Amino acid sequence: MILNVNGSRFEVQAGMRTLLDVLREDLNLVGTKEGCGVGMCGACTVLVDGKPFSSCHLLAEQVAGKEITTVEGLSALSPTPLPTLGEGQGVRENLHPVQQAFLEHGAFQCAYCTPGFVLTTIALLNENPSPTDDEIREYLSGNLCRCGSYQNILQAVKTVSAKAR
Amino acid sequence: MIGKSVPMLDARARVTGAVDYMINLRLPNMLVGKVVRSQSPHAKLLKVDTANAMSVPGVVAILTGADLGTNVFYGAAIKDQGVVAVDRVRYVGEPIAAIAAENEDAAEEAAMLLDIEYEELPAVFDAQEAIQLGAPTLHEKYTNNIFMHSKLRHGDLEAAFAEADEIFEDTFTSPLAQQSSLEPHVTAAQWDGDQLTVWAGTQAPYMVRRVLSEIFDIEQNKIRVIVPSLGGAYGGKGHIRIEPLVAAMARKTNGRPVKFVLSRAEEFVTVTKHAASITLKTGVKRDGTFTARQVAVTWNGGAYADASPLLIPQGMVRSIGPYRIPAVHVDSIGVYTNLPPAGAYRGAMSSQTTWAYESQMDIIAHKMGFDPLEFRLKNLFVSGDQFATGEILHDVHFVECLEASAKALTPVPSPIIVRGGKRVGRGYGVMMKSTVSTSKSQAGMSLADDGIVTLFTSTVEMGQGAHTAMAQIAAESLSIPFEMIRVVGPDTNITPFDSTTSASRSTNMMGNAVIAAGVSLKRKLIELAALLLETPVDELRSENGRVFAKETSISYAEILKRNNLTSLVETGEYSTASKLDPETGQGISTPHWHQGAGAAEVEVDTETGRVTILRYTAAAFAGRVVNPHLAQLQNDGNVIFGLGPTLMEEMILDGGQVTNPNLADYAIPSIRDIPAELISVCIESDEGELHGIGEMTLPPVAPAIANAIEDAIGVRIKDLPITAEKILRALKEKSQP
Repeated sequence: MILNVNGSRFEVQAGMRTLLDVLREDLNLVGTKEGCGVGMCGACTVLVDGKPFSSCHLLAEQVAGKEITTVEGLSALSPTPLPTLGEGQGVRENLHPVQQAFLEHGAFQCAYCTPGFVLTTIALLNENPSPTDDEIREYLSGNLCRCGSYQNILQAVKTVSAKAR
Repeated sequence: MIGKSVPMLDARARVTGAVDYMINLRLPNMLVGKVVRSQSPHAKLLKVDTANAMSVPGVVAILTGADLGTNVFYGAAIKDQGVVAVDRVRYVGEPIAAIAAENEDAAEEAAMLLDIEYEELPAVFDAQEAIQLGAPTLHEKYTNNIFMHSKLRHGDLEAAFAEADEIFEDTFTSPLAQQSSLEPHVTAAQWDGDQLTVWAGTQAPYMVRRVLSEIFDIEQNKIRVIVPSLGGAYGGKGHIRIEPLVAAMARKTNGRPVKFVLSRAEEFVTVTKHAASITLKTGVKRDGTFTARQVAVTWNGGAYADASPLLIPQGMVRSIGPYRIPAVHVDSIGVYTNLPPAGAYRGAMSSQTTWAYESQMDIIAHKMGFDPLEFRLKNLFVSGDQFATGEILHDVHFVECLEASAKALTPVPSPIIVRGGKRVGRGYGVMMKSTVSTSKSQAGMSLADDGIVTLFTSTVEMGQGAHTAMAQIAAESLSIPFEMIRVVGPDTNITPFDSTTSASRSTNMMGNAVIAAGVSLKRKLIELAALLLETPVDELRSENGRVFAKETSISYAEILKRNNLTSLVETGEYSTASKLDPETGQGISTPHWHQGAGAAEVEVDTETGRVTILRYTAAAFAGRVVNPHLAQLQNDGNVIFGLGPTLMEEMILDGGQVTNPNLADYAIPSIRDIPAELISVCIESDEGELHGIGEMTLPPVAPAIANAIEDAIGVRIKDLPITAEKILRALKEKSQP
């Protein structure tokens, strides 16, 4: 079958495997994480045609022909080049504005959940560019952060939303 | 650099999903590992037949108790736990065998074909039942199932109770709960002859190395333990977890590496928070001072002692509370039951004990007509007071922590009826916790001739930002720009010794080791510069990576080059020792105290029992804050983490089987559960000692909320979690006495 991921076409032998397993094992896109395996924690969130889905809960077969975006595909989605921070790592890719806001607000600790939060936030702001606090909380409630960085995440989302206005 | 909110060193990797967690590890020729677990809570193992399982194509090796030698048992102080079960299982989920296979499908098929025969034995799950005469015995050496009894005897208890005007006796309980790091336990191992490499998701690499050397009877220097960044730990990856099993499995794969990734359901049977029952008997005078306190704590340790013998003595000291009480006796017992082994859980033991002593503070205050806040402030320890261990307390800031928390709530009288059946109330909580001691940290620092400094530390980065904080401390101690520091994390072949990353000890212990390394490296540089600049040492100062004389200066890099040195290496060490008398609990328990407080304003819906946290304010004593931004994340995170065991988290068991081993049926706090307003602050002191702050604001959460609920609706909940059902039941009982 053919999977469209981050703007590229991949031929994979998915069998009955989940999208999560195919992304991680076959395409080496390991930014997407398994947390709970039952679609409750959001660590495995990817965008399917722009909507957030738990990739542990989808068979790869189910998304054939659809456009999948993982955290690795976000720099390509960045609308305008952003200045990179000097991390000394030689990374010169752009960050998506949502990633930039998460970075500026330090909206993570262990960061295992961060790719999922970033992708869900992108979907939220596409649907609703100016969400209220309650709308943000509602939309992000399927993503869990055990470290409890929620306040900083809330601030990061609001910052991107305000900048877009 | 200390005191600056720099982003985490690898912040960019953290927002791009590029952090190399254990779960991403791929090694050439790597096999998949799977654990086969007991379905019985207590049984003799009559047969573990691997023949059918071995015939599954793709299965490479199967590990059973028959493979193990005589050193198969391990444990922090009591060696009672097998690498896999040998002839008996003691909890549902106990490893009986492990399978190494080419792929997951083969491993799973083999697991189903493993032929296991049990002879069921009677089982016991409740710690109070397990200590009764006639209860099933788990380990023959401990016939009453009590494997540990920590005692503290301070003052004449009987005489002190006789002086009291009122005596209060209350029991508070907390259930089994999950640390629930989103990254599960992941470990891989590979043998090369008698050399073992373990890639481990552990908080304690050197402890893992020592225990593996004992199990496999090889020298520690033949074992290499490597720890990447962890996707959370919260105590659950402390001490020894699946590493012995993984290393034993790898011994059977002809040198091929094998990696185990536990499922969420397996997480629930790998380690838990100790279920605890705490009875406090407290004598109080009418003037609002204490005369005596007697504490009886029963810790449900599960089927194996595990880390409990290290934690229970700490739990004893942590069960008394931060108040002046002349006479104190504590009995803290650890009990075997047919449940998964318990271990450290963020705010270890204090999460259970603070729940008890801070809940009772309000019970006393209400009965005797004291204001809960003033009653606390009147009795809180201050510097120079004597604790129940006999040690004199220094750098004590409980009052500031509580006042800072209380001040942030606006002075609205309560309870007030908002609308319908909704009522608002407020409550407070204060915590006092020892750190782990005796313990040691070492750090290495290497300056290269391009001016770059590499810091070698075995402190585990698990999201708390420890490596960033250590880089800041290194930059300050060596007087070089932060950007010049590189951090190398735990690899026992490279990074020097550290006891463990736990109990909020790293900023203090490793921080001081880093300072020691930085200071001695700087001294060497100044000595070398003195010759080059022809200036006496005491007229030189260093700043920003350079040594300055009156009119000239030289960079660190240049000092090395001029001396034909490619690098200059120094190490630093910091250690603490403490000891309590085993019969009386008198002595020194900790080099310093963890201090924190919280204040909650809650709304309770008397029709549904639903509790909403309107506002929560927290304070932690931090000594000297290294990174205010990371400190805020830790303090906020503690409060949010604490909301889980307070309001929703509980492992449900049926016949020893966890019936909610997933994040659908075992809920942890989401962004919708956080208070509408949450403020956390750090309290600093003039002495400026570096303190860890990984736990301080967590233990006060449960009692502060319970106290606020009582303030709002007049009912007292004594067993966690505080569910809507319990509130409604209590309200019903109150209205129909």
